[in-house]
Amino acid sequence: MSTDVEHVTCRELVEILTDYLEGALDPAGRVEIERHIVICRGCSNYVEQMRSTIDLLGRIAADEPAEGQSDRLLEMFRQWQAARSDGG
Amino acid sequence: MQPVATPAGRPPRNEDERALVAALRRGDEAAFVALVQSHGVSLQHVARTFVRDAAVAEEVVQETWLAVLNGIDRFEGRSSLKTWIFQILSNRARTRAVREGRSAPFSALLGDSGDDGATVDADRFRGEDHRWVGHWAAAPSDWSHLPEQTLLGRETLARVRDAIATLPPRQADVLVLRDVDGWEAEEVCEALGLSTGNQRILLHRARSKVRAALEHYLSEGATA
Repeated sequence: MSTDVEHVTCRELVEILTDYLEGALDPAGRVEIERHIVICRGCSNYVEQMRSTIDLLGRIAADEPAEGQSDRLLEMFRQWQAARSDGG
Repeated sequence: MQPVATPAGRPPRNEDERALVAALRRGDEAAFVALVQSHGVSLQHVARTFVRDAAVAEEVVQETWLAVLNGIDRFEGRSSLKTWIFQILSNRARTRAVREGRSAPFSALLGDSGDDGATVDADRFRGEDHRWVGHWAAAPSDWSHLPEQTLLGRETLARVRDAIATLPPRQADVLVLRDVDGWEAEEVCEALGLSTGNQRILLHRARSKVRAALEHYLSEGATA
């Protein structure tokens, strides 16, 4: 039984790393990646760098909503609420 | 990042959500504010994937909230509230994009994403003439040796933002929703109308570029 990732090279590993992290590889592919990472310092560092990158992305605060937007939304909500209670 | 198991069609949405919907139906302002706080920023992000202009995107978001309020009595809980809200947004944003002459940005997908070669520069690997072809010639370093204040510092986070800003728009959209806003893959596919494969390709390219930018910064600037 052979897969595309049998004896994957480092160059190939970096191309399918997201498939691996996302759980999109078949079991044979997953095992091959894990086997490679255990024996390859460069790739093990690469995978850790990628995990750190994802962690850092989770730490940057998302953009703030536009100035005044929440006031406009609240105004809209109150109009909706008023119309709703008028309507019964 | 724990896996979510919410098989389609299984009704028990969580209690909080049912309470939230009930509160909205009562016209509870605090419930609305909480909902806006949870999803407002992501709505803006998704709207901007369809209409690039920030002001137009904001209008689309506002229209979406109004449609959510007007439709809340008809919300049946077949999907999560979040999915329902983002479907309303996508429909409106798509309509608006067509009107603005900027239709279906995702349909053209990878062709116009400004791409793009290898995930890592080819010259980082050994060439055909080497016994270990395809293996690292210039291997990545171990970031775990870096002081935490360097790796997690303000300056590093600023580099992450800069890197996102230089990504092709579709890659940035997927990356922000997945890794900054913390969405699941299926949610991103649903909201942006992407196949799982394409979502993953865009995510892969985006993450790889941000990693490369960080590697560049951490190997030079940060330690200087």
